[in-house]
Amino acid sequence: MKIEGNHKIPAPRDVVWRGLLDPAVLARAVPGCEKLEAQPDGSYRAEMSVGIAAVKGKYHGRIEILDPVPPERYRMKVEGQGTGGFVKGEGVLTLAEQGGETVVSYSGEAQVGGIIANVGQRLLQGAARQIVSRFFEAFAREIAAHAPTAAPGPPVEV
Amino acid sequence: MIPESFEYHAPQTLAEASRLIAQFGQEGKILAGGHSLLPLMKLRLASPRHLVDIGRVAELKYIREDADKIQIGALTTHYQIESSELLKQKCPLLPETAREIGDVQVRNKGTLGGSLAHADPAADWPAAILALGGEVEARSESGSRWIPAQEFFVEMLTTTLQADEILTAIRVPALPAHAGEAYVKFAQPASGFAIVGAAARVVLDDAGAVAEVGVGITGVAAKPYRAAAVEGVLRGHSPTAKRIAEAAAHAAEGVEVNADLYASAEYRTHLAAVYTRRALEKAVERAGGK
Repeated sequence: MKIEGNHKIPAPRDVVWRGLLDPAVLARAVPGCEKLEAQPDGSYRAEMSVGIAAVKGKYHGRIEILDPVPPERYRMKVEGQGTGGFVKGEGVLTLAEQGGETVVSYSGEAQVGGIIANVGQRLLQGAARQIVSRFFEAFAREIAAHAPTAAPGPPVEV
Repeated sequence: MIPESFEYHAPQTLAEASRLIAQFGQEGKILAGGHSLLPLMKLRLASPRHLVDIGRVAELKYIREDADKIQIGALTTHYQIESSELLKQKCPLLPETAREIGDVQVRNKGTLGGSLAHADPAADWPAAILALGGEVEARSESGSRWIPAQEFFVEMLTTTLQADEILTAIRVPALPAHAGEAYVKFAQPASGFAIVGAAARVVLDDAGAVAEVGVGITGVAAKPYRAAAVEGVLRGHSPTAKRIAEAAAHAAEGVEVNADLYASAEYRTHLAAVYTRRALEKAVERAGGK
């Protein structure tokens, strides 16, 4: 399944870049995120409860950030599994400046397997789009709430 | 195929059901016909702690005419709608849509209210209710409100119903003179769900021009929608074959079109135009137009 799109975040690019790599910001923005921990090898471990309406499941997984080119672009690899099946995906995020705002574009390919894919194939793309837009909406709110006054978060190793 | 354990409640009245739902909040789920919820529970994709079975609430099962409106209780089954003589006369779009749903077993158990509240993006009812400009009644312990169909569907599987509300009735306009309605769909061959479904309602004026038009489309986007661009091209004009085709070409305008294993976004966009055209042609013909 292809997942692509873009969202505009009303904040400068370096602020958005820092936010996208800040586990504390992400933990608050990722829908249903219950735990997001940086690992010694630079990857993140995540636990989340994801779903649409009453269809929810608990998932745990690993997120890796690869080939970061601050503040322009990075590659992301995601692997997770849980009650409804498993998901594996890889994609590229690009940050572009546009009149003081930042357009985050993403493009990737995800494989979904297990029960959720068997019975919910026709709903997967819609569900993925909805979860991604919720993330960016929450992320934009996080950035708006913290960026203007707060000092930049802890430095992120990239 | 065995659900997680849950508490089962079988209220006899709407008041009792409302009280239970208010008490359980997010932990509770209403069971109507069970044709969407039970499979999800058996696969453990949904695991409500409390199941409130409203199947015994007799006051939610009716079809009645009220001045120039038709009101249908939420627990009315697809089959009861399909076979209703009143509806065949006064709102033929509903029996026509019911006939397209699933199979006989599904139509015998599944309910209008259950389907609308579940808000599957490929369900048939939303297209019809949107085309008719219908309304949905939501009741809770604190009162009742009527929600226009266009405001009811929010996203995939999500409606404006609050956690303590029960969908209790659906209200649609009765068929006036010089009016026609139609529902056509391109169904997924195994599941029967709409890859594209289009419902149309057309009312002609004395000169034969389109006075009112409603087009509801399901299966195409993350939520069913009313095709305002299509309606705009037709309204006020004589519904010639050429104008109908021109209007139908706007069927997927302004929506993010779904893609899945069965149909790419391009193919769905094409089907949306074709099926919208067919629905409009049928509706116009039934309205007595050319």
